[in-house]
Amino acid sequence: MEARSPALDGPVVQVRGLRKAFGSNLVLNGFDLDLRRGENLMVLGKSGSGKSVLIKCIVRLLQPDAGSIAVLGQDVLALDQEALDRLRVRIGFLFQSSALYDSMTVQENLEFPLRRHWIARDPKEKETLVEEVLSAVGLPQTRKLYPSELSGGMKRRIGLARTLILKPEIVLYDEPTTGLDPVTGKEIVELILKLQTAYNTSSIIISHDLNVAKLAANRIIVLHEGRNHVEGGYDDLRASTDPVVRSFFIFM
Amino acid sequence: MERRMTNGTTPPDHDGYIAAMPSRSFLLVTGLLRDVGELTAFAGRFFRQAVHARFEWREFMRQCFINGTLTLPLVGITAFIMGLVLTVQSRPTVERFGATSMLPAMVAISVVREIAPVITAIIGAGKIGSSMGAELGSMKVTEQIDAMEVSGTNPFRYLVVTRVWSTTLMIPVLVVLSDAIAIWATWIGVNIKDDVSWDLFYRQVFESLEFSDFLPAFIKCYFFGFAIGIVGCYRGYTTEKGTEGVGQAAHSAVVTGSLLIFIMDLVAVQVTDLLGLN
Repeated sequence: MEARSPALDGPVVQVRGLRKAFGSNLVLNGFDLDLRRGENLMVLGKSGSGKSVLIKCIVRLLQPDAGSIAVLGQDVLALDQEALDRLRVRIGFLFQSSALYDSMTVQENLEFPLRRHWIARDPKEKETLVEEVLSAVGLPQTRKLYPSELSGGMKRRIGLARTLILKPEIVLYDEPTTGLDPVTGKEIVELILKLQTAYNTSSIIISHDLNVAKLAANRIIVLHEGRNHVEGGYDDLRASTDPVVRSFFIFM
Repeated sequence: MERRMTNGTTPPDHDGYIAAMPSRSFLLVTGLLRDVGELTAFAGRFFRQAVHARFEWREFMRQCFINGTLTLPLVGITAFIMGLVLTVQSRPTVERFGATSMLPAMVAISVVREIAPVITAIIGAGKIGSSMGAELGSMKVTEQIDAMEVSGTNPFRYLVVTRVWSTTLMIPVLVVLSDAIAIWATWIGVNIKDDVSWDLFYRQVFESLEFSDFLPAFIKCYFFGFAIGIVGCYRGYTTEKGTEGVGQAAHSAVVTGSLLIFIMDLVAVQVTDLLGLN
């Protein structure tokens, strides 16, 4: 499958000089990033390299020590709580663990963000939206099930549906294929690409999975020692002689 | 020089352990103070968000059902046993003074003033506090709280404020029901050996019970309920270290909650004494 070409536009996410340390452990040390509208940008890095920290800083789940983050033209670090909540509705976040609310059914999981933001007050409208996203992820029959009754791949799909129900402009994917078998992983990547076209989103995918890089990424940034190490397309990285980049292709 | 025992082994290092005791005690005290400080800050955050235009009524009602209605069977059974056992065990003592007619009043006053509030609150700390610690703890380590936050929902208002309000309001209700059940069990206990009609028993109990027996006990129940909710939520909401942390959160919610209930009870008895209500 071919990765989709980005419609070039101004950056929807701009990160400059991001620094974040946990005690004496400096995780991000001056990281820069630009996400263009419609683009699939992948941040490739080893486990523990600070990839998750990066996207958690973008939605301000973590407060960076230094640097600037602008999302859809707004300075994320300067927003008050209410403005931040309004911005967060425009950013989807797919967690590695899917993070479905396990005391709620699939339907309640999907309705939860709608109810909070007074989107679709009418029950019928809510029902239509739930049906729409469940069909989009190919699981229309699961609405009455609890997360504990779903497989890992199904949870990831429902997580994706919950992310998309608010119709975000940007989606951040935290290791979307980790913990899944290669076949299900490929299905998830294909689904991400299909939904990106359908919902017209821009994405940052963080992963160490080169299959994701090959299938989904328009551009890849290698995060190493908290900084941008190398940037390019999948083929550029594959041809690279840089030892850090080569280390990702060790099993390819 | 290294000490050797007659069998050639090294003796346990008691000296080293004793030498390290001041620093261990220091760490224990600073850890305790930090915990108290963080819990106070957490309670302060609750009060700042406790009343808000976007109050989560639906979740609050759900929590009232879980913490009130679903806790009632356990509290009811305990109250029944408590009333019955207390009556049967107190009988020999009052019999010695020929004061068996005082038995209903004596047990009822003990139940209303002290036993029902404290036992109900301890059961609440065990059942409600531990489940809050475990539920919020597991939500924290599986990123469900983060997911709520990134979807633009205030997780503190949704999870903590609703739970703390529900325990604060439900524990006093449970205590009143517990009072009633324990008094009814006392009547059964009295009738094991005597033959006392409900009307006579009722008169004996309510002629001796005064409003000043009931009111301070009822007021302290709000504080007990608040302590159970805030400690359970604090432990769960600040869980770290994965599944091990979830277990620790549930455990420490019970221990800290129970301890706080006893400390509050101690303060309450001093306050009522100062106010001349004892």
